[in-house]
Amino acid sequence: MISENSAVGRQFLDDELRRAIESYFPRYPHRQAALLPALHLVHQRFGFIPREAIVELADFLGIHPAEVADVVSFYSFFKQDRPVGKYRIWVCRSLSCACRGGEGLLELLTQKLGVAPGQTTVDGLFTLEAAECLGACDCAPAVMVNDKLYGPMTPEKAEQLLEELRAAPAPEVTS
Amino acid sequence: MAIALVDGIVVEFDEREKLNGIQLARRAGIEIPHYCWHPGLSVVASCRMCLVEVGKHEPTTGDIFFFPRLMPACNIPASDGIVLVTQSAKVQQARAMVQEDLLLRHPVDCPICDKAGECYLQDYYFKYGHKQRRTPWHPFTSRRKDIGEKITLFVDRCIMCSRCVRFTREISGSGELMIVDRGNEQVIDIFPGFPLNNKLSGNVVDLCPVGALGDKEFLYKQRVWYLRSHGSICIECATGCALWVDENQDRIWRIRPRENPFVNKWWICNDGRYAYPYIHSPQRLTTAARRSPDGWRPLNAKTLLQELSAFLQEKERWVAVLSPFLTVEEAYLLARVIRQADPRAPLVLGYVPRTGRDETFPGGFTIAAEKCPNRRGVEEVIGYFARDVRPIDELPQVIHRHGAEALWITGGCRHGWEPIPWLEEIRELKLPVVLQDIFPSPLSESSEFIIPGATFAEKPGSYVNRHHRLQMVRAAIRPPKGVLPEGKLLWQLEGREGPYDPAAVLQELAEDIVYFRAALGPIPETGVDLRVNLLANSATDASNGPAAESMTIDS
Amino acid sequence: MTDFEPVLLANKTKDRSWTLTVYESGGGYQTLRQVLRHKSPQDVTKAVEASGLRGRGGAGYPTALKWSFLPMDHPGPFYMCANADESEPGTFCNRVQLECDPHQVLEGIILSCYATRIRRAYIFLRYEYHLAYQRLEDAIKEAYAAGYLGSNIAGSDFSLDIFVHRGAGAYICGEETGLLASIEGKRPYPRSKPPFPTSRGLFGKPTVINNVETLACVVHILQRGEEWFRSIGTPPPPEDPKELGSFGPKIFSLSGHVNRPGVYELPLGIPCRDLIERHGGGVWKGRRAKAVVVGGISTGILSCHELDTPLDFVGPVRAGCLGLGTGGVIVLDETFPIVELMYNGCRFFAHESCGQCTPCREGVPYAFQIVEAIRGGRGRLVDLDTLLEISQNIGITPGTTICGLADGAAWIVKTCVNKFREELEDYIRRTNPTGYKRRLPLGTIMLPPGVPAGIKTRFPKTLPPQGTSALSRSSQETGGN
Repeated sequence: MISENSAVGRQFLDDELRRAIESYFPRYPHRQAALLPALHLVHQRFGFIPREAIVELADFLGIHPAEVADVVSFYSFFKQDRPVGKYRIWVCRSLSCACRGGEGLLELLTQKLGVAPGQTTVDGLFTLEAAECLGACDCAPAVMVNDKLYGPMTPEKAEQLLEELRAAPAPEVTS
Repeated sequence: MAIALVDGIVVEFDEREKLNGIQLARRAGIEIPHYCWHPGLSVVASCRMCLVEVGKHEPTTGDIFFFPRLMPACNIPASDGIVLVTQSAKVQQARAMVQEDLLLRHPVDCPICDKAGECYLQDYYFKYGHKQRRTPWHPFTSRRKDIGEKITLFVDRCIMCSRCVRFTREISGSGELMIVDRGNEQVIDIFPGFPLNNKLSGNVVDLCPVGALGDKEFLYKQRVWYLRSHGSICIECATGCALWVDENQDRIWRIRPRENPFVNKWWICNDGRYAYPYIHSPQRLTTAARRSPDGWRPLNAKTLLQELSAFLQEKERWVAVLSPFLTVEEAYLLARVIRQADPRAPLVLGYVPRTGRDETFPGGFTIAAEKCPNRRGVEEVIGYFARDVRPIDELPQVIHRHGAEALWITGGCRHGWEPIPWLEEIRELKLPVVLQDIFPSPLSESSEFIIPGATFAEKPGSYVNRHHRLQMVRAAIRPPKGVLPEGKLLWQLEGREGPYDPAAVLQELAEDIVYFRAALGPIPETGVDLRVNLLANSATDASNGPAAESMTIDS
Repeated sequence: MTDFEPVLLANKTKDRSWTLTVYESGGGYQTLRQVLRHKSPQDVTKAVEASGLRGRGGAGYPTALKWSFLPMDHPGPFYMCANADESEPGTFCNRVQLECDPHQVLEGIILSCYATRIRRAYIFLRYEYHLAYQRLEDAIKEAYAAGYLGSNIAGSDFSLDIFVHRGAGAYICGEETGLLASIEGKRPYPRSKPPFPTSRGLFGKPTVINNVETLACVVHILQRGEEWFRSIGTPPPPEDPKELGSFGPKIFSLSGHVNRPGVYELPLGIPCRDLIERHGGGVWKGRRAKAVVVGGISTGILSCHELDTPLDFVGPVRAGCLGLGTGGVIVLDETFPIVELMYNGCRFFAHESCGQCTPCREGVPYAFQIVEAIRGGRGRLVDLDTLLEISQNIGITPGTTICGLADGAAWIVKTCVNKFREELEDYIRRTNPTGYKRRLPLGTIMLPPGVPAGIKTRFPKTLPPQGTSALSRSSQETGGN
């Protein structure tokens, strides 16, 4: 598929990652279908999808890098420019949360962290994200930090959460 | 036969044709506007411009049941009893809405857009759009991005029909193009470092219904309404793709594919598309001349004719080289002229350039390794006269065996004569050569006569591609001053009256040569398959006996 | 109705309800064993057909009918996709189900696959459900170990593999054909139908796509019988025999301005007021409800006068909404401005539009920009008409898009404008006292010159400072000229 080279580098997709991706192959009738799980693995490893990793992944799955990038750019979960912070904070702003103060919460965190939604703080600790419905409307307004849900939040609780996260050791990302 | 009703017009069709609504309406003479649908690509039904009302005729009751929703005509399989309504208020409203939506963020920079004049968005706006723009914002950006050697992208003009993306995935199979982001932020792009440089990339420009994809060779050169299109054939390889040659005042500005379902469908390769500048090269031979002791003596059309006729009579033993770049008619005329001078003159097939192997793309498009348009046609003409087609490599032996006194060589390949092993041998024989060619070459320097030839765009005639399809070409432009198209010269040399008439020559040779018999009568735009009648004829001819031999060549 | 006993959420209150032991102790997988031993696939399909089970994912399509479209003469393989990409704002019942009772869902999938002779199923789970993912994966492992999955399930000759496929934050993956494209590793664009997934679906093979709640219902239909299922809910009205009726329990997700948000398993057809007052503990802070989003944000809203609408497949439609949707009920109290609701809804759909069909890609952001202008005090009365016109013309209902995403935006706009026009007009008059009457499109929704609408920054609140304007930026980008 990739015209100019068969010797695509292996700096991003090392053997471990390749094995992990390969373990998904039996689930699907063709390799391209393993793209989304593979992207999750890459994102988990690097905190974003590096451009070179796209090329290597495309080579591994037997498709063109453009077909990978096409999918990557569609999903709002994947970052392409730089790694996400240690804590990725999703603030739900959908109706159930918004009507109970989700928008205010997002604004508060924007001010507290000094970054706009989608950006990462300079110290690389926090990435703030505006989420479209986290599916946690029963604990609105909801906030998700990496893979843990918090809610119902109040401005006070949110500030407290930030403090706790700042003080806490590195999180265990389980998924 | 199945029957459909399109806006009250009854259309008969065959369900096995697998038509869709747009094609069905075309049969009724009704054009349904569309952007994303293209007959050569998969159906996505995403532009929603081709929405129509669809009904189903119930044969038992005679009632027509209409579906409550509008449906995209491109995704409706034509079935018996289907009813399409393409002009109702509902349809018109939907079309106007789509037009309004598409223009919300479109820069409307038609004055600087190459596509203006042949842009679907423009045309449909005048036909189907609202009379007035009601949104107050006027976004004007026309971000340009180079996405390949030949292709440039105007990001903001794009209407996201995804034709180009589907083309790279389905037809060229290279997949360079992608859609980035989602929703109304999405744009077409390439992956950095992997530009759109495949051999079919030029087609995306023709596919683009708006001015988003531009051809750098054509960009800002001409307004399309000054161009006139002429049907032609690509001579760059033996596939013989059908072309439109777009010219303005005898200058070619653009080559586009012409639909021919039997040959190239809707595509051409970049080799054919971007080859045309040689036609306007200042290096071309434009003066007929004859060698004289003190250099070249230029000849005008009249003196050339006189001197050539005299020369033809003067020499008794001739050998002619019939180039595969000649049209069928020219090859026929040349063979006749030479055979008049020397009834036993051997005819040699000219230089057949080949590079690499046939390249076939996933969509079925093939670029042939044989880089000439008419080997098959010329071979058949030679076979008719000489029964024995000799390749040009055997030219010295042929000359030697025949004891030739003079040579008539035709060229026409824009790459000139590749390293020619026999050239030195010819030189040493000191035979006078009559050369018809388009560029100067070592051969032209040692010739007796140099006769400037015409390119495919400058002369009418017909070519036979490697799949035995004969296609007609009309002259798109006039040849440069001083150039004598081969057919015209040979027509006069043979002493025929009136202007050169290739159609008459074709009829004549179709009667003479069995292989060409299918070309009798009018030739359709898509050409004729010479094998069809050949098979039929061979049955009758085999019983009749004679003339069957010419078929044995290259079967 | 008071003695309604929840079945789908019966295990919710149990300790460690997500484990196989707890599930089996409550009679779990017994139905599967019984069915595999005594019933043929046709029997299962017949039971589901007789129960009148309709899809819980939003469209309410009869489940057995969908199964029956699988071609009989196809060499296969067939696929089952369990849709757990629940991204509809206001809906979280699938999350609760998968977190509390993943085995019930698995049993439902196994039974449904048995009925349709499918050998491989994918559960499409949205990425945000981390806990559900872990419990589901654990449950699948347990089920494999216990012989409920894999080859020769429970000693029968039926085999099935189930895989979980996680999304990555895209609402459109919940649309059935978008879901298929996502599993295939392509851009999740919904596909134009026909062909329907039951004839050409996942990887080009016949595929059944059902919501996980629908599949969970199958367990209880087979366990308790179709008569039990039909005894719950609202039968079709006698005067309209074409109507399919709304049978069975449904998990409603209640959120917004109520005292007790959460999931409530109730019979279909329960009046909206009952759900809010009796189960949700009423509107918070002692206020009154102004509007209620009836079944996830895309179905539109009920006004306070329509709260007696029964929540079944036809009730909301009669009240001018799109339908029951996912059963995600969001209550909004009397202080909540309607323009905020429209703003929030349109923003969501503009953000989540996949961008394939023109009317959705351009029309929804168009509506959003108009709503944003109204909200920002730049509205005109004539904008409401434009909004109505847009909302009546986009979506799958008029047929102008491939999937139903645009309908969500359309219904929010349509129901808000229709039901709260006075409030909106008041708002426009109040916030734009000088320009509300203006008809000509002059400066009302002005973009700063040179900024492409919606390219990177939709509507910057302030004009970019001189010198760094978008115009000069764009000229840099075109430097290659």
